[in-house]
Amino acid sequence: MVQLARLGLSSDRRGAVSSCFGVAVGVGALVFFVALGLGVGRVVREKVFPVDTSLVEVVPSALTLGLLGGALDEREVERLQGLPGVARAYRKMTVRVPAVTIYDGDFFGQRLRMGLEVLAVGVDPGLVQRDVPGGDFSDHGPGQPIPAVLSSRLLEIYNKSFAPARALPQLSAAMLIGFGFPVELNRSYVARTGGGPTTSARAQVVGISDRGLLAGLTIPLATAQRINRESHADADTYSAVTLEAADPSRVPELVAAVKAMGHRVDDQERRLAENAGAAVAITTLSMALLSVLICLLAGFNIAHALSASVRARARELGVMRAVGASRGDVASLVLAEALVLGVAGSVLGTAAAVLAAALLDRVAVSVLPEFPFKPDTFFLFPGWLLVGALGLGLIAARGGAWLPARRAAALDPARVLAG
Amino acid sequence: MIVTRRLTRSYPDGARGRAVVLAGVDLEVKAGEFTAVVGRSGSGKSTLLHVLGGLDSGFEGEVTVAGIRLDGLAELALARFRNRQVGFVFQSFHLVGGLRAHENVALPAYFDATAGDDARARALEALARVGLEGKAERLPSQLSGGERQRVAIARALFSRPRVLLCDEPTGNLDAETAEEIIELFKTLNRDGLTVLAVTHEERLRGAATRVLTLGHGVLS
Repeated sequence: MVQLARLGLSSDRRGAVSSCFGVAVGVGALVFFVALGLGVGRVVREKVFPVDTSLVEVVPSALTLGLLGGALDEREVERLQGLPGVARAYRKMTVRVPAVTIYDGDFFGQRLRMGLEVLAVGVDPGLVQRDVPGGDFSDHGPGQPIPAVLSSRLLEIYNKSFAPARALPQLSAAMLIGFGFPVELNRSYVARTGGGPTTSARAQVVGISDRGLLAGLTIPLATAQRINRESHADADTYSAVTLEAADPSRVPELVAAVKAMGHRVDDQERRLAENAGAAVAITTLSMALLSVLICLLAGFNIAHALSASVRARARELGVMRAVGASRGDVASLVLAEALVLGVAGSVLGTAAAVLAAALLDRVAVSVLPEFPFKPDTFFLFPGWLLVGALGLGLIAARGGAWLPARRAAALDPARVLAG
Repeated sequence: MIVTRRLTRSYPDGARGRAVVLAGVDLEVKAGEFTAVVGRSGSGKSTLLHVLGGLDSGFEGEVTVAGIRLDGLAELALARFRNRQVGFVFQSFHLVGGLRAHENVALPAYFDATAGDDARARALEALARVGLEGKAERLPSQLSGGERQRVAIARALFSRPRVLLCDEPTGNLDAETAEEIIELFKTLNRDGLTVLAVTHEERLRGAATRVLTLGHGVLS
């Protein structure tokens, strides 16, 4: 049957090539745009807004309504931890005294002199422990270096924006671990201080984490409590509590319970991620629909080409009937021809899409300037996409062949063979 | 081998109702006969052949070929009948242009679910039977008219049918080649094959053991 199908296609090469090209364009466009959407979506999800879907950030409500809401003290943390579906609760406490760093010295082979306002938040070690290679993320007491975890996104922004603009060296996580810098507590370039004495300390980078504070230092909770206590600031209530759900599917239920307790959920980051993801998804869907439309047109093209082919080969098909082909055999033959076109078009289109993606990635590497979160590839080709593309090509071909196959089956062999 | 009773075939004919082509044809052809059916153009010879070969099932009456009743036979059974019981030879050869000679001969095997993997060997055997050994790999365009008709005959013989139905088999051939083809039919008939040919050809008529005339929808 395949040989006969191939023969049928070769009898109208121009029509076959045109049909195959149509399917290839539709399937190729679909694969290309969906892969692009998936790739960009992955960058948004994993790099730009790396939202952990199992985490819920609880912050105290601005208003207190009787027994509801209020400060996040130890009792409230216990209540939050007791909510159904909570696997763990990580306390967070902002360092409530201003701090700055004044760096003047060697910075990875370059002389650097810089002053920066420093924001810091203390967290339960478990929140970032997995990103601390040495494993030690605990308060070592006064006079000892403060272990600090930096945000992986901050490092990306530094490498892609800040460092090139200031001719500073590119840094990796491995380079930064162990790097120390001075910190002056109760001092600020922009805010009023509490009036007490400025104390000097030293911070040391111990890890890079996507759970770290974006524009600041993430330090052990005990350290933040000690600093606040020494500065006579609030060292008893927490600025936030991060709840880790036992299962991401239970997050909505958890959010509702937290709100019922009178607390707020800081989901700004999540919403940003969702909005960005939705924008990417809508764009991808639009392009995918356009591609499906192209496949639909390819189906019409196949219908046209196969109809012409059936008309031209009427006697040939009549002979097949005369030597024993049933109506179903003849219809199957036309469908097989269409499926050959569909498979060939799908494979060619997918290959073209993969090649175009590789080319675009190469152009992006060599032509586009570096920017934060610039990925190595803008595309993602999961197996289901390739299988789906093949399926779409086959559906377009099968749909296009429906009418010609019926016409071929309905041919009257006695009439077409007469004379 | 072939029996028809009150075989009638008519076609819609516009305002006049229906045009009757076969009007109650009674025919009996015994196994091993070489029968020629003659008649004027449009007398219904080809229609008779198509009905007997299972290509046309829109008839009335009884038709039995090779022991199989064709009236009321389902489409798939008719296809199987055409595949195994009868072989067709057409005036215009009707070879598939893109297939080599042996592939054309083996065409019935494409539609026979029970065909084994010996189709090529059987095709070569059929080609040898019609004197075309050595030309199995040629395309129809590389063969002469007589050779094409021999390939068509080999295709008709491929399934070892019991009846050979020929529709003006020498109509497109020169006199010398037509003579060769007629000799071939006589040989096949001597070997036991039942042959029924519709023809205008005098020599083919002469080769037949029995000649019937179709006129006004009836055989005489």
